[in-house]
Amino acid sequence: MTDAAVPVTQSAVENFAEQYLRSIGCDIDKQGNQWTVTAPNEVDNELLTESVTLVCGDNVDDEAAEELHPESPFFQTLLSEASDRAPTGKLSLEADNADAQLPDWLQESDLEVSSAKFTPYYDRTALVVLFRARVETVSEYQTELLQAVAIDTRSESFLPTLEQAFLQRVSSDTELKSSDSMDMQAADVRPLLDTASGQVVDRIQRTIDEIHQEASRAADAEVEEFRQMQQQRIGELEEQLSNLSARIADLSDQINSSDESKRVEALKERKTLKNEHEDIQAELDDLRQRRDQGFPKRQREIRERHALDVQVEPLTITEVEYERGDLEIVLTTDEHTLEFTAGYGTGVGITETVNCSKCGRAFTDTNPVEDIAGGLICLDCSPQE
Amino acid sequence: MDGYDLVDVEVTHKSADDILDSLSNDADDHIQSVKATRLQGGQPDSELRSLKQLDENSVKMLEHQVDAAYRALFEMDGKALLADEVGLGKTIEVGMILKEMHFRETNDSVLILTPAQLAKQWQAELLEKFGLNFVCNYDDEFSGFDDHDYIIASIDTAKSDRHRTTVLKRDWDVLVLDEAHYVKNEETDRYDLIDRLSYNYAFFLTATPIQNELTDLYNVVSLLRPGLFGTRDVFHQYFVNNNQETLVNRDELQERLHKVMIRNRRADTDIDFTDRTIDTRKFDPSAEERELYQAVSDYVKGAYSQDQGQKLVLMLLQKEVVSSPAALKATIEKRLDEQSELTHADELESILELIEGIDTVTKQERLLDIVEEARENVEKGRVIVFTQFRATQRQVLERLATEGYTVHSFHGGHSSQEKEQIVRDFEEEGGVLVSTDAMSEGRNLQFCNILVNYDLPWNPMRVEQRIGRIHRIGQKRSVFIFNMALKDTVEEYVLERLYHKIDLFQQSVGELSSILSRLEESGTSFEDEIFERLVNANSEVDLENDFDDMAINLQEQRDLADKLEEFNSGVFDGFDLGASDD
Repeated sequence: MTDAAVPVTQSAVENFAEQYLRSIGCDIDKQGNQWTVTAPNEVDNELLTESVTLVCGDNVDDEAAEELHPESPFFQTLLSEASDRAPTGKLSLEADNADAQLPDWLQESDLEVSSAKFTPYYDRTALVVLFRARVETVSEYQTELLQAVAIDTRSESFLPTLEQAFLQRVSSDTELKSSDSMDMQAADVRPLLDTASGQVVDRIQRTIDEIHQEASRAADAEVEEFRQMQQQRIGELEEQLSNLSARIADLSDQINSSDESKRVEALKERKTLKNEHEDIQAELDDLRQRRDQGFPKRQREIRERHALDVQVEPLTITEVEYERGDLEIVLTTDEHTLEFTAGYGTGVGITETVNCSKCGRAFTDTNPVEDIAGGLICLDCSPQE
Repeated sequence: MDGYDLVDVEVTHKSADDILDSLSNDADDHIQSVKATRLQGGQPDSELRSLKQLDENSVKMLEHQVDAAYRALFEMDGKALLADEVGLGKTIEVGMILKEMHFRETNDSVLILTPAQLAKQWQAELLEKFGLNFVCNYDDEFSGFDDHDYIIASIDTAKSDRHRTTVLKRDWDVLVLDEAHYVKNEETDRYDLIDRLSYNYAFFLTATPIQNELTDLYNVVSLLRPGLFGTRDVFHQYFVNNNQETLVNRDELQERLHKVMIRNRRADTDIDFTDRTIDTRKFDPSAEERELYQAVSDYVKGAYSQDQGQKLVLMLLQKEVVSSPAALKATIEKRLDEQSELTHADELESILELIEGIDTVTKQERLLDIVEEARENVEKGRVIVFTQFRATQRQVLERLATEGYTVHSFHGGHSSQEKEQIVRDFEEEGGVLVSTDAMSEGRNLQFCNILVNYDLPWNPMRVEQRIGRIHRIGQKRSVFIFNMALKDTVEEYVLERLYHKIDLFQQSVGELSSILSRLEESGTSFEDEIFERLVNANSEVDLENDFDDMAINLQEQRDLADKLEEFNSGVFDGFDLGASDD
């Protein structure tokens, strides 16, 4: 899982602001923590009229100056403007601007890599997409993740190493200052985006599961609370019914024993009370029935309200051209030299599994290549000193 | 608790149409767009921006306090249970939180609910340490919960029939609940009030989230974060071993509590206080003073039995008579002037005559012994003398000045600039600072290490506040507290039978708060209790027994508070509820 978000520190803020403002043609005159930014006439920008004074941090004495720090409104607007500016683009990861990426099983090895030469045979294209994934439910704070997914446009295979290489290259201050427009057409991009978007959900499944559990607990607590309230209401209604029954019984006694005028009065009152008794009985029956069924409607409402809403949204798409070919690697020890070739892609690294000549198992970071006497030998198979 | 699956998950893959529309656009700035998107997805490196504005002389913030305030605000999204062990400064943590919210303008309305006895203390601390102005429900200017935006109130006032509707009608931005364990029981009006209150942010404080059983923790946490623990039944089945009433599945409980509770332990902080030596000096009053004391006590007793409405003024007289004849004189003269038809005018006149007959004030003479010792042994002879009364203060100042001491006077009538100047002068020139209790909590007086309680407030928090002005973090020398009392007077009873019994002079503010709020829970106000016992006793023996009773009650509350603290430490032992180092 490649988390693409970066911590918004004060230095990250200042670096980005400077690079971005200069990239759109602004001049920056720095005096201590105070920057005077002058925008060229052609800049179409709400933030920058002609000139603006920025103060790094929040110690602003000058009322007309803008604060520049991770939470300052100026910086937030700058970010949103910059992110909207060119969400799609294209760049190349070519052999000459990327050192050969050696796999973990070689990096962890004690053997010396005396050379690693890449021979590109053909160009490949991948899409690297930054997705925002939001997980929301009423009882939890919203969780927001930024994920990078790289997918080969032809094979549709995912290229996690390319994601890393892309993010690394993009965050570098020296490399990659501009890019071209994408060559791919929307119709070709869409199916790849759908596949990549599905991959995001798979990758964040654990987070979704955790929040799902918590939302379930909160919903359960609410259902229980409702059940208790209704049980309390049932108790109240039962009490009311019993009081009414007693009063009706009293009135019946009066009707049998009193004179005409009082009898009529008592009959009237008994009728009213009986109606009331019926109403309450009906409410009670209804409530009991719903209770016995487990208040399905209410439960449904509560569960619906606590349901998780997971949204995955692509924010940037970068078409990345990379080269595929062979990497010729030469390993040396005091006594031996061994040369071998493996499939390789720029930014992707070694594209095939390499196995131990003795046991046939694939090399890993925990079982790296350890010896080259008679082939590539893994740590487990190499003779112990 | 796996497989707890009661709600649906709906996944939406949002359309990419908007972005795809830009495919053929100029992509020069694409790298900047990717960078900006990554920054938008990152957590802002939030910081407590208001801290820079705080005056270090007013409040010294400790690392664990800043950390707690930060976590409560930024990691718990403004809903936190601050459960530090006693004495680590939970009030300071809340002060920082409120200051930060004020700075960020997210505190349009704040309600702080405390036990009654602590409300004024909260008010003073927030003003003096953080410059936050709150109205308290005991202030004259308080005119209802819908009429002020920053309110400190006793929780029982807030839940009373008179105010409840108004309190519940508002949408509060921030709710602070001190001694939150008092809402542990869901059957009570207090719990009901908090449950129904509408607020955006809430900070609950308690050193002992668990009072009797683990359900207490469930109740308090569920008020803050409903549903965090699921239903009560699920909580019990999953976390409580019913046979032994102990915790099970601690790791998961810790993980959940970590989302809402912050508990710092004393052992993990670097709080270190120097020694405190208490020297209580009791003096035989002169015959004239004894006669005056008796006359005033008789008058108070008689007047109170006839009219309990005069309680406050009678209490005042009883306190003044042991402070100084001068203090008493001023009040009696005022009383005679204001109420021409006073029933006991004769008695008051004769008290005035007794006052006139006193030439030598014993306490004043004995004070000279203490300040002289200080002059000989301490740097610049600095001593702070506290009294509750201005008249006493004036008389003491005159006497000390006559004896050639450098004196400084501090009372509530000075402007804040003047107050600062007085403290500066005292630091530079040395000598004796005679102060009323208007000396603000926040003032930095660590340069002095000798304090004299010339008279004793009947409210133990006041005593602790006085001591706290010199015995605080940053004090490098041992601190000496001198208590002055006249023998066989209420002062001696309060001092000997109450304050010493609960070891008041060795308690930290936090410990004292927990005792006092427990006391309040049992329906007792300290000052009232003292006064009632004093005026209702039929004999000297009765009086002594009454005070002993009160001391036993206090001792019980203290033991209970200690036991609870110990119990909670036991329950949370091994819990690392602090921030992760990862």
